Amino acid sequence: MNKHKSQNTILLPFPVIRMAADGNIDAINAVLKHYEGYIAALSTKRLYDENGNPHLCVDEELRRRLETKLITKILAFKVA
Amino acid sequence: MELSSSQRKTIRHQFDSFCKKVLREEYRDCVREAQRRLQYEISFSELSPQELDQLYVMDEYSTDSNHFSVLGYDVAVKDDLVSTALAALSEQKRDIILLSYFLDMTDQEIGEKLNMVRRTVQYQRTSSLRQLKKLLEGKADE
Repeated sequence: MNKHKSQNTILLPFPVIRMAADGNIDAINAVLKHYEGYIAALSTKRLYDENGNPHLCVDEELRRRLETKLITKILAFKVA
Repeated sequence: MELSSSQRKTIRHQFDSFCKKVLREEYRDCVREAQRRLQYEISFSELSPQELDQLYVMDEYSTDSNHFSVLGYDVAVKDDLVSTALAALSEQKRDIILLSYFLDMTDQEIGEKLNMVRRTVQYQRTSSLRQLKKLLEGKADE
């Protein structure tokens, strides 16, 4: 999780948050872009091939699901 | 309503943690769901042959087999080789073969149905079998 530390400090600009909560598509895309790394990290799975070597791969299904959930929740966010 | 810069800052932090919480919780849901499914799911390769057999049915169509009618009975013959060989037989011989091997009748019963002596039925039956054998072996040689 350490590599996301740097992202923790970077916050989205306030206008983007307000517009995203209001349903502005560009703003929502910006939010998705902002959390892209975190989503990818959550949906990354360690798989093993027949020789037992680990492979990291992104579970696309899980990634889409997290993304979708985030979009629906962004719209529910109350800006003061 | 204008918000002060410190309020905006708070909201930006709130939004950040909100989004992260949403993602984290959804991820946890997914993992739980996967674990729950795991209890009920089983790989095809781990199924026993008997269990696998229960998973499919073969459709049977009347057009898949050739039909012969004898004494009002409808006899379906699935194997193509056998049915062409049967078709090559004379009608009486074919009737005897069908009655005895497909409808499980004894020579006595067939004799009664076809107005023949049991001995004749038996003779016809064995000679038809020889003829069938020749026909089928001939096919197999090709």
